Amino acid sequence: MAASTLRPLILICDDELPLRELIKAVLGDGYRYVEAEDAQQAEAALAAQTPEAIVLDVMLPGKSGIEFLSELRSQPVDESIPVVVVSAWQSAEDERAALGAGANAFIGKPFDPKDLATVVEALIAA
Amino acid sequence: MTALGAAAIAATLGLFFAANTRLRAANADNARATAVSAAAFDLRAHVVELSDALHGVIAEVTPNSIARWHAAEQSWRTPALQLEKAAADNVLEQRRAQSLYDEIESYITDYGDLIVSIARFSPSAVRSSDAAEEGTIRLDQIASDTDAVARTAAVDAADRTDAASRLAHRASVAGTVALILTPVLLILLGLWLARLVAAPLRRTVDAATSVAAGDFDVRLDEHRRDEFGVLGRAFNAMTRSLSASRRELIERADSLEQSERHKSELISMVSHEVRTPLASVLGFTRLLLERNLPERDRRRYLKIIDAEATRLATLVSDFLDARLIEEGHFALRPELFDLRSLVLEQAELTLAHDESHELELNVPETPLEVEADRSRLAQVVGNILSNAVKYSPAGGRITVGAAEAAGSARVWVDDEGTGIAPEHREQIFQPFYRGDAAAAGIPGTGLGLAVSRRIVEAHNGRIGFDPIDGGTRFWIDLPLGEQTPEPQAA
Repeated sequence: MAASTLRPLILICDDELPLRELIKAVLGDGYRYVEAEDAQQAEAALAAQTPEAIVLDVMLPGKSGIEFLSELRSQPVDESIPVVVVSAWQSAEDERAALGAGANAFIGKPFDPKDLATVVEALIAA
Repeated sequence: MTALGAAAIAATLGLFFAANTRLRAANADNARATAVSAAAFDLRAHVVELSDALHGVIAEVTPNSIARWHAAEQSWRTPALQLEKAAADNVLEQRRAQSLYDEIESYITDYGDLIVSIARFSPSAVRSSDAAEEGTIRLDQIASDTDAVARTAAVDAADRTDAASRLAHRASVAGTVALILTPVLLILLGLWLARLVAAPLRRTVDAATSVAAGDFDVRLDEHRRDEFGVLGRAFNAMTRSLSASRRELIERADSLEQSERHKSELISMVSHEVRTPLASVLGFTRLLLERNLPERDRRRYLKIIDAEATRLATLVSDFLDARLIEEGHFALRPELFDLRSLVLEQAELTLAHDESHELELNVPETPLEVEADRSRLAQVVGNILSNAVKYSPAGGRITVGAAEAAGSARVWVDDEGTGIAPEHREQIFQPFYRGDAAAAGIPGTGLGLAVSRRIVEAHNGRIGFDPIDGGTRFWIDLPLGEQTPEPQAA
């Protein structure tokens, strides 16, 4: 493996291209990224490699982010991967659902770039 | 049935009345016959007294015997008149009584008085056997006639009594039969009345109870020719009207409920649709403000901000259009232009935003002129194209075409999506209707097709869709340029 493998891998699962771009821009060049538009693509990405963290949108076409997260947490291999849930709803209900399903953090949109960067850094360092 | 029962009862009563009348007549006859017999026997006694008095005179003419004769001569008249009176109701008996009276009268004047006169002068002459024999013959005749009167009356009375008894017997038999028959008839009459009145009444009550319980499909027999037929028709008209009203109410409630659901889905959708581009705009703006980025990244992020802000603007514009269309303010600015240029332009715009689909163009080589509001039509074609992108799987082919067909200018867009389920086909042009799109996480407001239809119809055109092999074709037909579409407020 090359030296670049030292940079942590982050799986971004969001159906909106601009938001994936934003997340990458916010987190910067310190990470490698794998992108998924829906839960199916995210599962495929997870089968290929294990990321250091996942940034997950709630509102996905087909299976929702919360459902995907619940299934992820039921699998022993993947249950320890830190997950940050980002949501367009930013409601207390969504936050409860996300944390209940096993999210390590919840950030509502529109989010502050610094918040997301701080949360992801902290989760990977832990 | 009623008539039959009444006739039977009337006949029985008539029979009773007749028997009663006959019995009374027979009783009267009997009484009269008794009176006649009694008077006849009384008269016979007096006739015997006449004969005895006369024999007394013949035996010895004394003042006493003469006096007895004179007394007897008067005394028979009373019973004779009584007999006549008793026989007054019967012409035959009366005639016999009168003839008896005449016979006795004649016996006295023609024989008795003569014998008495002769006896005063020559008692021996009257004792001759001839004179005596004449008297005996006459008396025997009178006695026999008297007996005949009494006997005839008695026999006649007996006959009448018999007849009356027979009639009375018949009447009593008839009465008994009537007594048995009447309750039977009354029961039959009751059953008949029940069939005629009670049963339909009960059906009416049952039906009314059903209606009260909410069953408006209940119907009464409306073909009867009586009042129940009239009631049935009125009742059925009522239940029909009730069912229709309820159906209408349910439909209206369903449609309201649906509309409410669409609105609630819309609110969810709007908050997502607004927040997603807003999150990009805000996020990238803050990033640009906070970080010192290379020029290349700055430009890229600004482009994203621009695209996302445009997306927001389109969204807001869609809402404004929807409101304008709902409120009826909808002005067209028609101009003559080549539809091909509009199709190409929209196809390029779509391609600029979407790299995951293959776009194929199919436009004619000659111009396709229409007179229409260019920006509104661009909105329609853009909407159909963006739907094709949204509902087609990544990598799918989208074909955009334009052609003259059957006197119209047609634009069509074929996609390779999953198609529109039959249950959604009728409603997809309704505002806020999104079918299964919300559940599938496909963004949208449910306004695009509704707005598109209003725009196309305002141009006297038609919009529709057809399932095609492996996808769906949406099409727009517009009048060709030489025909002037009437600018109108829809």
